[in-house]
Amino acid sequence: MAEVYEVTVWTRGVSMDKEGRDVVSALAKAADREGKFVQAFDNYEDLPDRVGVPVRKYARISDEEIVMRYNYENENPDVVVIVDAALVKGVNVLRGMKRGGVLVVNTNRSPEETLKFIPNKDTLGAIACVDADGIAGRATVDFSGTEGGVDASGLGAGIAAPLAGAVAKATGVVNLESLAAVVANREALKRGYEEVVVKTI
Amino acid sequence: MAKEVLISGCAAAAQAVKYSRVDVICSYPIRPYTAIMMELAKMVANGELDAEFIHGEGEHAQLSVCYGASAAGARVFTGSSGVGVTYAFETYSPISGGRYPVQMAIADRALDPPGDFGSEHTDAMSCRDQGWLMGWAETPQEVFDNHLINYRVGEDRRIMLPQFVCHDGYFVSHIPGKVILPDQSQVDEFLPLYKPLHPLDPKHPVSHGPQIRPDQGAIMDLQRAAAFLEVPKVIREAIDDFNRIFGRDYRPFLDEYRTEDAEIVFFLQGAHARTARFAVNHLREKGLKIGLVKLRFVRPFPTEEIQECLSRFKAVGVIETSTSYGGAMKGGNLIHEVRAALYDAPERPLTTSFMAGLGGDVITIEDFSWMAEKLAKAVKAGKVEKYVYWVGFELEE
Amino acid sequence: MFKIPKEREVPFGGIVPAPVGENRMMVTSNWRTYRPVIDHEKCNMCLNCFLYCPDACWHEDEAGEKMVWNADYCKGCLICVSECTTEALSPAHELDFEAGVVRLEKLF
Repeated sequence: MAEVYEVTVWTRGVSMDKEGRDVVSALAKAADREGKFVQAFDNYEDLPDRVGVPVRKYARISDEEIVMRYNYENENPDVVVIVDAALVKGVNVLRGMKRGGVLVVNTNRSPEETLKFIPNKDTLGAIACVDADGIAGRATVDFSGTEGGVDASGLGAGIAAPLAGAVAKATGVVNLESLAAVVANREALKRGYEEVVVKTI
Repeated sequence: MAKEVLISGCAAAAQAVKYSRVDVICSYPIRPYTAIMMELAKMVANGELDAEFIHGEGEHAQLSVCYGASAAGARVFTGSSGVGVTYAFETYSPISGGRYPVQMAIADRALDPPGDFGSEHTDAMSCRDQGWLMGWAETPQEVFDNHLINYRVGEDRRIMLPQFVCHDGYFVSHIPGKVILPDQSQVDEFLPLYKPLHPLDPKHPVSHGPQIRPDQGAIMDLQRAAAFLEVPKVIREAIDDFNRIFGRDYRPFLDEYRTEDAEIVFFLQGAHARTARFAVNHLREKGLKIGLVKLRFVRPFPTEEIQECLSRFKAVGVIETSTSYGGAMKGGNLIHEVRAALYDAPERPLTTSFMAGLGGDVITIEDFSWMAEKLAKAVKAGKVEKYVYWVGFELEE
Repeated sequence: MFKIPKEREVPFGGIVPAPVGENRMMVTSNWRTYRPVIDHEKCNMCLNCFLYCPDACWHEDEAGEKMVWNADYCKGCLICVSECTTEALSPAHELDFEAGVVRLEKLF
């Protein structure tokens, strides 16, 4: 079976739910444009209709068809993206991560400062901090894309754009041009790509 | 122009309903089918779809609205999941008895003990004897296609029966897959506008659902039973047309995968067939002569096709995804149908039942390998060791 | 007859003991981005925070001298901050504090 590249996004119910979904949708759609086999989906068990509850969104990218498409979780993520930095304190966000994985955090704090809250940081290959809030200015809230619905409000107008840019820079899993073709706020995407601070561990 | 999109099974179902030009939609929310109604509500609100969208106050009311709307001559769509499906149970028989071709999507959800939203077919399978057509889809594309095919068959004047169009909750309903949205003219060619037998007409008033006497009850049953005898023929015609118009390659009842020289096969319906295909490839690489037979309609059950197909193999592993507590085979429902169909077959394969994919459980490649091992062992021994295995929970000697 | 893996065991009939007081299965401190911080000098014990908190995360101490915050269950909605009559409560980012959030291995 071919390796499947797994992206897990941690975000919060309602207030940042769409932003989290936008990150995985943008990465999957960009990879699709590059001819990869992709999958982007919400965690089904999280019940994201409660304000602030930690919830997960997943993307899977592969050179071959994805065998376990019908599964609930990314068991061994290559990348974990944190939409709200405070989440690193409340959950073991690196659970199951492959050795040498990358953690991307939306924060204006430094990688060193953020790492203080990650007890199992020896799993990490790198941490990348990007001030997505500062770059995009706002989180969009919309419910049309929940529960398998089609998002009617557009992709990547808020903080997801710089976060996706940061993932592209820190991992190279997709390139910036493919992302620019799918997200609404290209300026924020580009700034996320350029301004992310990557620290190798 | 036809175009390819990446959408969930729910969104695919909603698209099919839109292409079908339905007149009346009645909703009531329950996970995981809800997004079908979310999508349709959006389409009606933004003028993309010209239909009455009615929100029922519960599933029983929801199906009652559909009953009335279909009696008045409308093409009707509704849907539900899990306990929502069972809450409306009373309405299913009168809808099929009155011969109203209502279409209902079911995105499966386990029935409550105490509360689980994973996919299990027991919700729909509990309703399989209510005079509705019933079948499952494996992918969002098949969801889209099945909705069109079912309207066409159910509304055929020789049939006039309602249809449960089912797909697995979450796996198919929530995970996006590639779907080809056809040109509206293709759908119009395949599925003409609905011509009701008794449209609401002040000049020719009719009374629907009157009280009948016990001596008329059997005749009503016979009418439905006789209609069901015609369904396979109409399904075959519809599939032929569908394949021609949309360029697909569906078999009407049984979809076979790598069965040419197979000795053992997995037999199942719904989402897990997708993983099973990969499992078959994996096991073939190891030298096992294994294949897959996927059931597309459980009502009508394709008895002759099953006899013809399954008697070619030495052993059949029926993967259940639904429960029949205390049933003849102590496991699920499907094996009852399979064994009954095979009883008069000249060559009968060994059959056993695998309880897997219950409560929304994932069936992994390892699970399929384990099942294949049991089947291979049965072939070697010339008999099955057990009628039912609970995959993942068996004590190994 | 059958074996259920230890990590997948479910109680008979799905019946579990009712939580008395706090439900440790449902700690919600990780819902929080900002926490309310109290300045006891400014607090006049009006009890608005106690009355308005949707999760009962404020209570008076035994002596009735000051308000006590429940860090384990506060979801950071900050209703208490907006209802505080004396500006004794203010929001602070959770990462400004080393501890205070129960770190969960799995969500459920």
